[in-house]
Amino acid sequence: MSQTRYAELHALSNFTFLRGASHPEELVAAAVALGYEALAITDECTLSGVVRAHTAAREHGLKQLIIGSELHLQSGRKLIVLAQNLAGYAALCELITKARRAAAKGRYALTRLAFENGLPGCLALWVPDQDYDLDVEDHWIRETFRDRLWIAVELLADGRQAEQLERLRVVGKRLKLPLVACGDVHMHRRSRRVLQDTLTAIREGVTIDNAGFALYPNGERHLRPLEVLQHIYPAELLAETVRIAAMIDFSLDELHYEYPDEIVPPGETAASYLRRLTEQGMQRRWPGGVSQKVTGLIEHELELIAELGYEPYFLTVYDIVAFARAQNILCQGRGSAANSAVCFCLGITEVDPARMAMLVERFISRERNEPPDIDVDFEHERREEVIQYIYAKYGRERAALAATVITYRPRSALRDVGKVLGLSDLQLGRLARSMQWWDGQRVDDSRVLEAGLDPKSPIIKRLLFLVRELLGFPRHLSQHVGGFVISNGPLSELVPVENAAKPERTVIQWEKTDLDDLGLLKVDVLGLGILTAIRRSFELLRTFDGHELTLATVPAEDPLVYDMICRGDTMGVFQIESRAQMAMLPRLRPRCYYDLVIEVAIIRPGPIQGDMVHPYLRRRNGEEAVDYPSEDVKGVLQRTLGVPIFQEQVMQLAVVAAGFTPGEADRLRRAMAAWKRRGGLGPFEEKLISGMRERGYAEEFARQIFRQIEGFGEYGFPESHSASFALLVYVSAWLKCHAPAAFTAALLNSQPMGFYSASQLTQDARQHGVEIRKVDINRSHWDCTLERNADELAALRLGLRQVKGLAEEAGRRAVEARPTGGYQSIQHLLEAAGLDRRELGALASAGALESLAGHRHQARWAVAGVEQPTPLFSSMDRYEAKPLLSKPTEGQNIVADYQSLGMTLERHPLHLLRHRLDRYRYHQAGCLVQLATGSSVSVAGLVITKQRPGTASGVTFVTLEDETGYINLVLWKQVAESYRPALLNARLLGVRGELQIEGEVIHVIARQLVDHTEMLGNLLLTAREFR
Amino acid sequence: MVQYALAIDTPPAAPRTLTATPTAVQHLWFCAYLPNLSLEASGPSKDARVVVAEQRGIYRVLLACPKASTAGIQAGQSANAALALLPTLRVEERSILREQQAVERLATWLEQFTSVVCIAGRDVLLLEIAGSLRLYGGLPCLRQQVAAGLEQQGFAAALAIAPTPLAATWLARAGRRACVREPANIARVLRGLPLTCLNWPVAVCDSIRAMGVTRIGDCLRLPREGFARRFGVQRLLELDRALGRLPDPRTSWRAPERFCADHEMTEEQSDREILLAICHELLLSLERFLLTRQLGTQQLRFSFFHLRAPATQIFLGGAEFERHAEHWSELLRIRFERVLLPEPVIAVRLQAGRCQALSAVSGRLALQAKPAGSGRRYSMSQLVERLAARVGYQAVQGVTTVAEHRPQRAWRLQDFPGQALPVIRYQLRRPLWMLPEPTRLSAEHGYPLLQGRLILLEGPERLETGWWDDDGIARDYYTAMSPQGLRLWVFRNRQHAPTWYLHGFFG
Repeated sequence: MSQTRYAELHALSNFTFLRGASHPEELVAAAVALGYEALAITDECTLSGVVRAHTAAREHGLKQLIIGSELHLQSGRKLIVLAQNLAGYAALCELITKARRAAAKGRYALTRLAFENGLPGCLALWVPDQDYDLDVEDHWIRETFRDRLWIAVELLADGRQAEQLERLRVVGKRLKLPLVACGDVHMHRRSRRVLQDTLTAIREGVTIDNAGFALYPNGERHLRPLEVLQHIYPAELLAETVRIAAMIDFSLDELHYEYPDEIVPPGETAASYLRRLTEQGMQRRWPGGVSQKVTGLIEHELELIAELGYEPYFLTVYDIVAFARAQNILCQGRGSAANSAVCFCLGITEVDPARMAMLVERFISRERNEPPDIDVDFEHERREEVIQYIYAKYGRERAALAATVITYRPRSALRDVGKVLGLSDLQLGRLARSMQWWDGQRVDDSRVLEAGLDPKSPIIKRLLFLVRELLGFPRHLSQHVGGFVISNGPLSELVPVENAAKPERTVIQWEKTDLDDLGLLKVDVLGLGILTAIRRSFELLRTFDGHELTLATVPAEDPLVYDMICRGDTMGVFQIESRAQMAMLPRLRPRCYYDLVIEVAIIRPGPIQGDMVHPYLRRRNGEEAVDYPSEDVKGVLQRTLGVPIFQEQVMQLAVVAAGFTPGEADRLRRAMAAWKRRGGLGPFEEKLISGMRERGYAEEFARQIFRQIEGFGEYGFPESHSASFALLVYVSAWLKCHAPAAFTAALLNSQPMGFYSASQLTQDARQHGVEIRKVDINRSHWDCTLERNADELAALRLGLRQVKGLAEEAGRRAVEARPTGGYQSIQHLLEAAGLDRRELGALASAGALESLAGHRHQARWAVAGVEQPTPLFSSMDRYEAKPLLSKPTEGQNIVADYQSLGMTLERHPLHLLRHRLDRYRYHQAGCLVQLATGSSVSVAGLVITKQRPGTASGVTFVTLEDETGYINLVLWKQVAESYRPALLNARLLGVRGELQIEGEVIHVIARQLVDHTEMLGNLLLTAREFR
Repeated sequence: MVQYALAIDTPPAAPRTLTATPTAVQHLWFCAYLPNLSLEASGPSKDARVVVAEQRGIYRVLLACPKASTAGIQAGQSANAALALLPTLRVEERSILREQQAVERLATWLEQFTSVVCIAGRDVLLLEIAGSLRLYGGLPCLRQQVAAGLEQQGFAAALAIAPTPLAATWLARAGRRACVREPANIARVLRGLPLTCLNWPVAVCDSIRAMGVTRIGDCLRLPREGFARRFGVQRLLELDRALGRLPDPRTSWRAPERFCADHEMTEEQSDREILLAICHELLLSLERFLLTRQLGTQQLRFSFFHLRAPATQIFLGGAEFERHAEHWSELLRIRFERVLLPEPVIAVRLQAGRCQALSAVSGRLALQAKPAGSGRRYSMSQLVERLAARVGYQAVQGVTTVAEHRPQRAWRLQDFPGQALPVIRYQLRRPLWMLPEPTRLSAEHGYPLLQGRLILLEGPERLETGWWDDDGIARDYYTAMSPQGLRLWVFRNRQHAPTWYLHGFFG
């Protein structure tokens, strides 16, 4: 009885989107528990789930994992193809690639042509449909696979099992094909049928009670116990499964990756070429000669690289960076290997290792034996050029982007399940809103009640149950932001490649973590807006006064720059411009480059949740003793005063204090990144705490470290990234400090980016003494430019790009067609630049036509009346009466400025209202600093931003703006609730509260809110226009 | 050179001025503007509520009731934001149909005051009242009556009166309780109104406002020719019409018609043939009514009035819209055979149900129809109609299959079985005779009993489905043979302790 052996050869995981109802890991675990000989993961035309299954198979000790795919041909035939060996796997990958590339994203198209090479190394199971027979034209299947073809017999209790088996036996005999038992598995256990039905209804776009025969009649499509199978199938059909499994000899472990070899010029080896490039770089970086220390460092690194065989990787990245440099695209590398001296020599990073005083082992580790990690940030706007270069150099066959699996989140799960259960959009909207912070586990009845639904009703119970089940299920593949895989041979032999949403983009079917699990290499090609802004600043400076700057030649460690940073005067500066960062700077007082490295990493959700910020601050200000439980720990934490701030430190702690092997520490890192989504820090917690206890650390210390690890979660920031970002922080701060006009112009030209609007950036620039000049059709370029003012200083001329409703192409045309003397009239502009009435209207509204047509009202009238020239009467000046139009008031101009330019150079709107606000005795923002902390104050201002961060429980932050500056409000939950209408609707808000001054940071803790929006009257602007 | 041209509101030059004749008919328009129509159309309510409409996939508040407004809810907010402010809020989706019906109801009601009632746009009603003033005791009195009536019906209206329909409309939209009786005063009153009351497209209003023109008065100061070039001649003419310089004829609204006709007899009548003849006369006048309007109807009601008993009602229904008297007469005759009149009849009333435009029947079909006689063949819908006429309207039903795995739900009754049965997709073994409720069977050694032990022939067909309502099943169905040779459909329940049931008989 118990000698029955079985291998499931047809199982779909949830990577067959909206069909499979179990994770690959669940299928593997269930197959092990049931004692299967083998399990094949045969998702429909995809291998996306196999790496996860492979990892799970290793963990659970599955005897054999078979890689395969279910394929539906356009003729209606259904085949299961299993990879028998490495060649077969490559053939299968290629087949899937062909089928996927021939169809739109998310689909595939497969005809017999794809099978012409005979698919060597693959076995095939034919799954017959209702008529149980092969047509004559389908006999090619038999010709193609010959003795590698079986008939799959799937007995699923549909009432006709006996008949089905009998007819297949006859067909098998006639076609001389053996029969084999299969399960058409869609789920790991029967109870998932509820979810499977739900997925079916989502797929079909119908409610569950209308899904009808699209649903399966029963839940037989699960991994069935052996004793059940043996009642259903004849013994020889079960035995055949094991025989097939035994014919298969392939594991994903056999895949190996080869670097592209064209990066090495002929006649050189990778090692010699890397050495030559590094030496050339040394001469460029240190023209005055290289210090003994640096030479030693470089030798050491080259040795390490050679030992691990990573030369081609460094050369691959070098090649991409060299291309970017040749195209004048600014870039900067980051990641574990990026900040090595070798990378500095290769130009991958501009961070001078001498400046870092860091050990390279921190970045490449011999013991960890993990692939080096270099991400390269390129100018956001020009990243596409780099991507196209990679495609052009290696071809689409050898380079592709990694995928990102988009999974169900509470909101999307709620929406999809709710629709299927027949709830209305409105009801679901209510529910989704009241569950914004739902952790996916429990739902308070009160939350459901709040949404106007009955938590006791069966439909709500079903809804919540199904949503929980669906969470984390993959929905579709998207492309990773920039993770490239480049291989020496065709990539499609390694992993299937499919079309991405963007035309001419392809993605592989694996995620970044899948690549990590199999040890494949990738290069991250990322986009970063600040690089664009920095490059533009450099260019503006060069054309203005011939000042040549590069990332490397910006004067280092300038105390004036650090003074500015310490004041929190950092609007527009990379990474440290947020309100939280600004508030922290005066307390952290960074004075050197490494302080910036810490600053970048510390103000993040990870360290904040792990409660590391305040201990670090106290220790830095000397308010708390810096002590270490041991010398080992001191070695790890000394540079951050005993507080773990970087991801690397956590891993090192696990090694030195808890006895983790480097490999285990690495797994901990990955678990950290994913524990919120997948769960499973459990085993690490036990090991970490017991490990530390054994090594004599106090329980309390161990618990604290673990809490910090948990808090880090997916936000833990690596030092290696922080180090690269810190350089960009410094450079952008230097520009803001020494070339504010150029920096502001560059930021405006790079919008949208960063935290602040054009309005806020220009106001800030004016406060720093920069003269800003109006948009003018006869002076402005498309971009903001620098003009020389009377004091020979740079003034910022706003560009036509600020004008809302003016397309770039039209704006550039107007600048190009502009005669030396400027345009003479609106008709002249219309004819010379070919602008249409709408574009002229946009210019008129922006006040850019003042030199041609007078004030805004007159310009609008004139523009509305222009006519496109006809061939016959090209420049007919029509005689027209002039209307009596009022001159715009200052208020009208302010409103029009905001609407059309998003900013104004007039006075602040509150200037005009101040006399009315004075009646309420409101303080101005600029006066607050003279008051004592704790005093009662009243303030009023335009509402600029409202934030309710998830980290600060129930606190709402509001920023107000008056004519003298910004006011930061803190609203405790209770105040926010009792003044909800005002908080939600007010555009001009009055506040009574308490002043809090800490260093140079000023907050008002609100107690009462008053909505003064009606005061704005004609100055009424929407919040969006103001931002 | 600056030239000031003729502004829009410049009085026309002397030669064109009409000599005002005191006897000329002067119109007076009364406008009722219903700003809260979309809220009020769904009836009164004590709850705080809003009407929402979908805009690019998001439900946004269109209108909030005063209670909701005090809670801070404003038009333009998303429905979710509104709910955040007031969790008990009632959220209703806007119904254009409901609004239209409400306006038509009001128009019908307003017809008591004047013969000229116009529906001018979605939420504006116009009454021409020059002729009705005296009848209703003067303007204030009329105004009072209309206002009270509207309020009583649950509608808040802004009312205004002016000599031109547009001026009255604009005044009402602007919320001015103005009453302008002299055409000469129109321009003066309109000047102060904001442009928004014109209801011009947003783009046009924005464009005009961008020139610093915010009131109708500013607008009227613009040069005529320049204005027309920029904003279109139509808008210029609209201004002229509002000012009374151009005629603005309006068509009066009329309620849709329904047929209703009576035939009163001089003495009580109980002869069926005579009654049928009277009915036929009524049907002929119905046919004429429908024919002139190109309409057809699907339902008729005959009421036979008696002196001492409540009226007898006979409903006739058709599968299609129909207008021919012959058709209905025939149905009525069949139906009459089964009707027992309690008393002689003193009057007959024929009322037609909802009418719908009828596409003309092509003549060719009629030619091909076989002459009446024994060989007459009926179409499916004719058959159904005749059957229904004979046995009663509710007694005829069709059966249709439903795509559903659960046998008890795999079919349902259908009202007017017009269409052919859908083909059953699945080749399933299903008995034609199914028990309304499965009968429990006793069992012996795990085998079901029915007058002896049953032999299981085929199965199981496992059905596990229907979890989404309270009628889910988990059963194994078998075809079984009883000792008597009956083929049965039985199942074993998988949900609880396995129990056998009989569910049907194969033929």
